[in-house]
Amino acid sequence: MAWVSAKYAVRSVGRNARRTALAILGIGIGCALALFMESINRGRDELFARMGAYSGAGHVRVVPGNWNERRDPRLRLADWRHDLAAARALPGIAAVTVRARAQVLLAMGTHVVPVEMVGVDPENEPRTFRFVQRVQRGRYLRPGEPAAVVVGKAIAERLNADLDDEILASAMGRGGSIESAMLRIVGIVTTGSDDVDAGICQTNLEEVERLSDLAGAGEVTVILRDWRQTDAARAALASQVARGDEVLTWGEISPEFKGHIEQDKATSRFISGVILLIVLLGVASAQLAAVLERRREFAVLSAVGMSARRMVRLVLLEAMTLGFAGAVVGLALGLPVVWRVATVGLDFRKYMGSGYAFQGVIIDPVFYGDFGLWIVPYVLAVAFGATIIASLYPAWFAARTDPAVALRVAQ
Amino acid sequence: MSETIITTRGLAKVFQLNKHQVPALRGVDLDVCEGEFLAVVGPSGSGKTTFLNLVGALDVPSSGDLMVLGRRIAGLSRRARAELRLRSIGFVFQAYNLVPVLTALENVEFVLELQSMGRERHARATQVLDELGLGDLANRRPNELSGGQQQRVAVARAVAARPRLVLADEPTANLDGENAETLMHMMRDLRDRHGMTFVFSTHDPRVVRHTARVVTLADGRVVRDEEKPGEAPHEVLPGVGAPPGPAGA
Repeated sequence: MAWVSAKYAVRSVGRNARRTALAILGIGIGCALALFMESINRGRDELFARMGAYSGAGHVRVVPGNWNERRDPRLRLADWRHDLAAARALPGIAAVTVRARAQVLLAMGTHVVPVEMVGVDPENEPRTFRFVQRVQRGRYLRPGEPAAVVVGKAIAERLNADLDDEILASAMGRGGSIESAMLRIVGIVTTGSDDVDAGICQTNLEEVERLSDLAGAGEVTVILRDWRQTDAARAALASQVARGDEVLTWGEISPEFKGHIEQDKATSRFISGVILLIVLLGVASAQLAAVLERRREFAVLSAVGMSARRMVRLVLLEAMTLGFAGAVVGLALGLPVVWRVATVGLDFRKYMGSGYAFQGVIIDPVFYGDFGLWIVPYVLAVAFGATIIASLYPAWFAARTDPAVALRVAQ
Repeated sequence: MSETIITTRGLAKVFQLNKHQVPALRGVDLDVCEGEFLAVVGPSGSGKTTFLNLVGALDVPSSGDLMVLGRRIAGLSRRARAELRLRSIGFVFQAYNLVPVLTALENVEFVLELQSMGRERHARATQVLDELGLGDLANRRPNELSGGQQQRVAVARAVAARPRLVLADEPTANLDGENAETLMHMMRDLRDRHGMTFVFSTHDPRVVRHTARVVTLADGRVVRDEEKPGEAPHEVLPGVGAPPGPAGA
C-alpha cells in the first residue's frame, strides 16, 4: 500500500476547508436524497407486490395451460387437488386457496347485473383476498354453506338489493343450457372503490361448479411469506403441478399493474438520477477547481517522475476520501428520515383519500419506506460512484499537466 | 575518463506563442560528463530554464539531437520520459515546490514510494535528511520550515533515490547568503560522495563560485564554455552532513 500517497490524498482534501465542507455537504445531501428515494422505491415495491397479491392475484397462481392467452373463466385445472397439494408443500407459503369462476347474470326484480362470480374456499379465501377479510355489512361465507353469496356494495346498489335478499344467478351450462340458482346475500363488502366493489361476487366453490356445470377449480392462488421469492416459488411449483397446468406470477396475471409499478419505479429512478447528476456536477466543479489550483504541484509531481496513472489514482483517492465523508454525512442526514418513513410512513390520505384503485388493486394511501442492511452499502456505492465519476475529468486533467508548461507559467 | 551523460547537437526549442514562433534555444552543442558540477548562466530569456527542461526530459526538442543518460529524448513517450525522470534525474526548483500537506520526511519518502521502494524507503529518507542536517525537522511540514530548510528538503527529495543527474533551477534565488552557501556545500558534498552530476541554471555568483564549469547562454546559444582551474574551497559545514559513505550506496 502506498501509505504516503494515501496520506497525501487524505490531507489534500482538507486544504480548502470551506470548499471541502461544501462538497461533502453536497454529496451528503445527494446521498440522503438518493437513499430516501431508494427506500421509498423498495418500500413501494413491497407495498405494490403485497397489494397486488392480496387483491386476488396472489404471488403465484396455478392456472390451466392456455389460460393466459384466453383468459376464459370457464377453463378448469387439469387436476386441481394435485395442484393444491403441490402448492401447500412449497416452502415459504403464507396461504393457498382455490377458486373457480363463471360469467353470471344476477337479477333481482327488474334489475340485472352481469358479474364474474368467484367460487371460493371460504376458509382460506380471506387469507388471500384482503377485501373480504372484513365484511362491512353482514358476514362472510361459511364453509359448505349452500346458496349464499357475498357481493360488493356497488353490485348490491345496482341490484337494489340488501342483506338477506335473495337474488337470481343465471349462467350458461356446458351444453348451452341455462343453469340458475337463488342465492341469499349474506354479506356486503365496501372497499372504497366502486370499480373494485363491482368486481366482488363470491360464493362457495360448489355453487359455481353447479352454475357453470363445470367440475373443479380454475386456479390455485398462492401467497408467499416473502414476495421476493416469487420467481423461485414459481420455478419450484412449475415442476410439481399437474400436466397441462402452468404457474404464473402476479406480474404475468396483472401485466398492466406490473407495468404501472415499473413506470413508477422508472420515474423515481429518473428523479434520483437527476439529483445525483446535480451532485456529480457540483463535485466535478469542486474537484476541477482543486486540480487547477494545484497545477504547479502536479507539474512538480510529474517532474519528479510521477506517472499519469499514479496521478489519476491520487486524484481518485482524494475523491474517494470526499466520497467517504459525504457518505457519512449522507447517512447522518438520511437515516433518521428513512427510519421515520419506514416506521411511521408517508401519509397521502390528504391527496388519495382511503386509497386509489388501479386494475382492481386498491393502493394504500400510506407508503412505508424500506429500512435494512442494504442502506450502508447503498450509500457508500452512491457516494463513491458519484465522486469517482465526477473526478474522472479532473483526474485526467491533472494527469495531462505538461510539467514544462505548468512550471514555466507558474514562474 | 568519465562517461558523457548529456550530449546535445544543434539543440533547438521553439515555442509557439499565439501566431508567433519564439525560439528559446537556437542550436546548442554541449557534452556533460558524469560527476560534473556545472552552471548554465546567462541573462533572463537566454534559454537556461528551457535547456534544463529539455535535459530533464520535461520537454522535447523542436530540432537537433539530445541524449541524456544514453536515451534520445525526442524518441521517448511521455511515460518513458516520466520513468527516466523517476529513476535517474532529480530536480531542485527555485520555489522549493514541496508538497505542503506532507512532512519533510514524507516529501522525501514520497519520491521513493513512486519508485516502488519497499520498507527501506523510510530508513533511506531518514538517512538523507540526516545527511543534510534535517534530522530534527523530519516531522515538520514545509510551512513550519525556513526557506533554507525547505530548499534542503527539496535537495533531499531530489537526491534520495541516488539519481545520476540532478538539475537545479535557480536553487539559491530565494535564499540568503548563509543558506545559499550551506546548500552549495551540501550539494558538492553529495556529488563527492555519490558521484552525482549537478547542472545548475543560475545567475547567482554564489552558485557559480562553487562550480567547476560554467556554460554561458545568450539568446539561445552557447557563447562561452569555461572550465575553471579549480573549484572554490569546499568544506562540509559543522553540524551538517554525515560521514561519507560508499559512493552510489
